[in-house]
Amino acid sequence: MDLIRMPKAEKKKGITVGIPRSLLYFRYGVLWERFFQELEVRTVVSPPTNLEIMNRGSRRAASEMCLAMKIYMGHVEALIGKCDYILVPRIRDFGIRRVMCANFEALPDVVSNIFYEAPFQVLSYDIDSSKKKDERHAMVEMAVSIGFSHGRANKAYKAARKAQNEADVKQAKKTEALYRRKDLKLAIAAHSYVLDDEYIGKPIIKYLEDNGVTVIRADQVDRKQAMKESEKVSPTLKWELSREMVGSLAMHHQDIDGAILLSVYPCALDSMVNDMLMRKNKMAHIPILQMTLDAQTGTAGVETRLESFIDILKMRREVEAGNGRENEA
Amino acid sequence: MAEKTKRKIAFPMVARYNEVVRYFVEEGLHQTYIMQPKMTRRTLKLGVKYAPDMVCTPFKTILGSMIEALEAGADTLIMVFGYCRLGYYGELAESILRDLGYEFDYLNLAEYTTGKNKDYLKAVKKLNPKAGAVTMGKAGLDGLKMMEDIDSVEDYYYQNCGFETTKGEFRKALKQFMHDMGKAKNRSDIDSGYDRCMEKFKSIPIDKGEFPLRVGVLGEYFTVMDEFSNIDLEQSLADLGVEVHRWMNVSHRNLHYPGEKNLHPRISEYCNYEMGPTSTANIWYAKECAENGYDGLVHVKSAGCTPEIDIMPVLQRIGADFKIPILYLTYDSQDGDAGLQTRIEAFYDMIEMRKKVIH
Repeated sequence: MDLIRMPKAEKKKGITVGIPRSLLYFRYGVLWERFFQELEVRTVVSPPTNLEIMNRGSRRAASEMCLAMKIYMGHVEALIGKCDYILVPRIRDFGIRRVMCANFEALPDVVSNIFYEAPFQVLSYDIDSSKKKDERHAMVEMAVSIGFSHGRANKAYKAARKAQNEADVKQAKKTEALYRRKDLKLAIAAHSYVLDDEYIGKPIIKYLEDNGVTVIRADQVDRKQAMKESEKVSPTLKWELSREMVGSLAMHHQDIDGAILLSVYPCALDSMVNDMLMRKNKMAHIPILQMTLDAQTGTAGVETRLESFIDILKMRREVEAGNGRENEA
Repeated sequence: MAEKTKRKIAFPMVARYNEVVRYFVEEGLHQTYIMQPKMTRRTLKLGVKYAPDMVCTPFKTILGSMIEALEAGADTLIMVFGYCRLGYYGELAESILRDLGYEFDYLNLAEYTTGKNKDYLKAVKKLNPKAGAVTMGKAGLDGLKMMEDIDSVEDYYYQNCGFETTKGEFRKALKQFMHDMGKAKNRSDIDSGYDRCMEKFKSIPIDKGEFPLRVGVLGEYFTVMDEFSNIDLEQSLADLGVEVHRWMNVSHRNLHYPGEKNLHPRISEYCNYEMGPTSTANIWYAKECAENGYDGLVHVKSAGCTPEIDIMPVLQRIGADFKIPILYLTYDSQDGDAGLQTRIEAFYDMIEMRKKVIH
């Protein structure tokens, strides 16, 4: 009987990188997948959020974390056993007043501490202006750490960034066209990881569309222009994602019938930014619905609120149309 | 900000540090400083009424104390910023106050973030364009000295006041010290006030026994330092007969911070990166206390404080690795202390029993 078994010499096979379909995946998904594709690294993306993923995530996460973080932990758990590495970037900031939510700064360490017994390694890249590290530097450094050459990583990054930029521009143009429509238009301001989430965000968009509303996503916008606009609305606003959304609303507030500020509980950024938006006179003339999503499983409450909000918008339109006719007469 | 030579300046209440701001404003800028009353339930109620619902509690208390400062006659408010939500406090508080109809000048240091530190000096100069650089510099240094003094007095106080043989002696000395700081006009007033207080502290008879219980308090920057916000947490612990230690204060975190680079290597088994503005320090301090055989840790934060929530999984690991009990406290705008008192007492009973078993 051999009590000690020597490990079998393992054949050097390619590694697999797991990507959670949550948080920044919806912002950088193209970039990440293309980057690893160029490096010929296999990737596996977790399935779209469902009730089980959310519940498992809630169990893993600290109880006071926001819903998006809880869902993220569910996605990480779903990838266990399917990959050697899980991609969890650390993105602190891109410069002055271009800061990300503190969660994105802590994320790799939060994951490695919550899952410290799990059989995967956290693969991370670190964007931090205080260390003078931009996205290219950070991602190349990450590729080098798993054994790729600088040159190859650089090339992969260039191709990946180009693909992501093209996708972003295309999406922004498509969204921009919606503002010119004539029917009932509703801007929905929420982080992409809320709206693109199969379980919490998409049902809301679908419900609105089923009820004859043109839903326009505020986060899909010409980002540079939106950043500039946000400075006029709120000069010390420092969160990249909030600035894009505030700028987007400032650019388009005349073209919409109403807006929904959709947050997940308890979103730190939205807790302040939404209040600021409500205070700005510019916005005051459009009806705004503030809604917060928690880990609830029923949709009846949400639907009732959306329905009554749509009714208000429709009535407002009718009244305005009526006034227009009177003026003509 | 309009050009004005005479100002009545105020700063939101933060722990015991308002005396430092007062000193700088009076001696460095030669302006009047308005000290609003100490924070009470009313302060918090005002804040809760006008602040957004889900913002962290420090915003609410700060907003409340700004209102109280304006009521007390201030015409100029100063606001600082930080790396978390604190960075946006200034602008939102201003627009809430303006919407309420208050009229005042406002110096929001967050507006002067350009990457160069000397731009903050330019901002401060706006408070009195005639103030000389030398006077300001000197008052600034004296103020920092006062801040260090306040911090070391507090350290000594909470580590010892639970063991005094005559109840109330330490409190009396601390009160006298804060009174002296409030009257200080120059460096020697500060120094002699400090010396007198430390002398008094050391003369108070204490009975610590062989193995006093030691508890490390750590957590969110504002709530952990401000005794109104944490509902006298440290005093309650001390009153049960505990040596209360706290690293987090302005001198340690801002003035003498060893830096992320120097602290991080000591906790590299727990995290790879800086997790937030005070996270490295808090994780390091938790480990430090655990290694030094403290009997327990108390982690303090306001509800929804993202950086502190994010380090909780790390603290839980430290707790498991070193077998040190940790009490997690989340403060919201509650105004009763019965629930908190029960939890602190239960925690105390537990660590005391544990200590008896170990020794």
